[in-house]
Amino acid sequence: MAAITYLEAIRQGLWEEMERDPRVLVMGEDVGVYGGAFKVTEGFIDRFGPERVVDTPISEMAIASAAYGASLTGMRPVGEFQFMDFITSAHSQIVQILAKSNWRWGAPAPLVLRGPTGGGVSGGPFHSQNNEMAYVHTPGLKVIAPASARDAKGLIKAAVRDNNPVLFFEHKFLYRRIKEEMPTEEEIIPIGKARVHRGGKDVSVITYAAMVYVAQEAAEILAKEGIELEIIDLRTLLPLDRDAIRATVEKTNRVIVLHEDTKTGGIGGEIAAIINEEAFDSLDAPITRIASLDSPVPFSPPLEKAFLPKVEDVVREARRLVAY
Amino acid sequence: MATKTPSEPAPPQQQPAKNNPSTNGSTASAKSSAKDFPVGANPHGIPDWRLEQLPFHVEPHWKDGVYSYELIGDTETPVPPIRPSKYLSKEQSIEIFRLMLVNRRMEESLERMYKQSKVIGGLYLSLGQEACSVASAFALGKDDWLGPMIRNQGSMIVKGFKPRDTMMQYMARSGSPTHGRESGSHYGDHKTLNVVAPISHLGDSISVLAGCCMGARLQGREIAALGYIGDGGQSTGPTYEGFNFAAVKKLGVILMVEHNLWAYSTPVEMQFACKDLADRAIGYGVPGVIVDGTDANQVYDATYEAVQRAYRGEGASLIEAKLMRMKGHAMHDPAVYVPSPEKEYWKRRDPIARYEEYLIAQGWLTAEQAREIDAGVNKLMDEERDAAEASPMPDPAETATGVYVADDVVLPLKYGPVIVHVNQQAKLKESSAPGHYK
Repeated sequence: MAAITYLEAIRQGLWEEMERDPRVLVMGEDVGVYGGAFKVTEGFIDRFGPERVVDTPISEMAIASAAYGASLTGMRPVGEFQFMDFITSAHSQIVQILAKSNWRWGAPAPLVLRGPTGGGVSGGPFHSQNNEMAYVHTPGLKVIAPASARDAKGLIKAAVRDNNPVLFFEHKFLYRRIKEEMPTEEEIIPIGKARVHRGGKDVSVITYAAMVYVAQEAAEILAKEGIELEIIDLRTLLPLDRDAIRATVEKTNRVIVLHEDTKTGGIGGEIAAIINEEAFDSLDAPITRIASLDSPVPFSPPLEKAFLPKVEDVVREARRLVAY
Repeated sequence: MATKTPSEPAPPQQQPAKNNPSTNGSTASAKSSAKDFPVGANPHGIPDWRLEQLPFHVEPHWKDGVYSYELIGDTETPVPPIRPSKYLSKEQSIEIFRLMLVNRRMEESLERMYKQSKVIGGLYLSLGQEACSVASAFALGKDDWLGPMIRNQGSMIVKGFKPRDTMMQYMARSGSPTHGRESGSHYGDHKTLNVVAPISHLGDSISVLAGCCMGARLQGREIAALGYIGDGGQSTGPTYEGFNFAAVKKLGVILMVEHNLWAYSTPVEMQFACKDLADRAIGYGVPGVIVDGTDANQVYDATYEAVQRAYRGEGASLIEAKLMRMKGHAMHDPAVYVPSPEKEYWKRRDPIARYEEYLIAQGWLTAEQAREIDAGVNKLMDEERDAAEASPMPDPAETATGVYVADDVVLPLKYGPVIVHVNQQAKLKESSAPGHYK
């Protein structure tokens, strides 16, 4: 079977779920005839019709809460935000209505809100953000951010089948840049489980989404020096896989948390706190955070390069931790 | 607000053909029918079913170092009769009367509980708005949805909740529908009663109701979903996004705009620039109508017609109900900012007293029967209160349970199988077109 891109993997996953389950529908801006700004739903309207491939007005809050309303009748909607930056326009609906629904009044909200996130494409401050942490801080939601094509497919299927509101952050930098072969059997990847992207004994890099590949490049450089990085791809940010975090700390005793989200209030602080609570005795060096600068995402390439975490940052910090 | 300004055409004055009452508010003279009362229209062509125009407005007033609101106009105009219903039977009308009494007596009971410190937190009352809550929800069918706001406790009773549910909510008891997690009308039922639990953020439920209609349509049903918004709440963005969504998708959302004159302490004159909020229907591209929100028949008939429109798949409707919030925003608020002549004006337009007079004039009820109904409601309320007070406080061990739904919970379709249209000729092809960014 030929390798497919991260984008095609998501397309296949959604398509197959719509084939399998008539309760599944997609809705969002330009998802119909145009097929979505990134073409994730291209051709879907030809197959499933306008009833289940629903073009909406430019109304993120209505997308979120109309999807929720449909879910109250037993449907399983998948809402698309053209860019995950626009999730902020639906923040109230997601945080106040969706996340609290089952706890408040026993009404499950089985729906997915998905869209492209992240930088590296000169998208500027409104098309490049990593807004996941506002939602990781919201009990009642699940938050997924896959790094590989196989995970993207297996996790979008899991998200559609989940009984809770799931936010699915697809990294736009990865859409057409990475390819992977899919397993022949259908694969549902469990939500809440991290993955060891690369095994290693010296330093753990706990990361997710596009930063997995930054860590990988650093690992290849460091391997030549005899430093073996272990790369943990979190895959799901809420709920966090605490077991996987603890296991890697116990193995390597040195930790870098790497994320594209800005540093202050990023998940690095949360992971450091978990390690402090659950695996402090395993540490041989302080936990190090590598993240984007505490600034909005800039547009111009040299500025964006300065903003984002770099391979050399990981190489430098890994060397420092080994020498500590 | 139906105040006259020199630059605008005068609103049509609808005078009933008969039963034009005296200032004491009495309408009880003879049986009347719908054809006796022609429907007017506002300057923008929106049908106006009211039998009077509001003859005053409120202006800010800064005198002797005090900034306050002053009423400009005449508050002594005669109380109009109730407009006869085109649709309600005698039995239905009497039931609406009884349900309005349930609404009011429940809130009176809650007020006593509040004063006895049995209510935890705030208490939100709907005195003067019972006709709007009750008669609108009365027009819904079993499969239709309701999206109440904080004051629409009466509509929730019509949909099938019991007064004890709201009482237990306010007392934060474990037996309340949210088991003490939420207060007041902030509860719902997605399984049988089809009530969306409101949140405090105004307008957010409107697009939820649109989604309920969308889900039903995918299951082969055109339904109605009645949501309320206040004159204050309609200023929010979610109101626009939600109702525009419903309008463009031709979903059966009925937006009941309760123009109750005060958004907490802010008068409508400082909340929006138009006179009739029903004018916004023109912008949404849906039918709009103005009704007297203290006249249960007008409220019912307008909602009934909107419900039928929804069932025909013709989409959303907007109803503006003119009325007044007769209490403060919540019990802590004595509403001293409201000019007292305004309160007196609306007190004479009590929806329940006027409806009783109407039923008596129709020959459908005697004063004695009305007293019997009220006695029955009071007896019910004692039972409901006792049941509510018997419920224990919640167990702290349950605080963080139910944040997530388990994987093995089966979530059924509400209206039946999804109507599937799949074009087998269309296959999944690789996406060749470039995305928005490389």
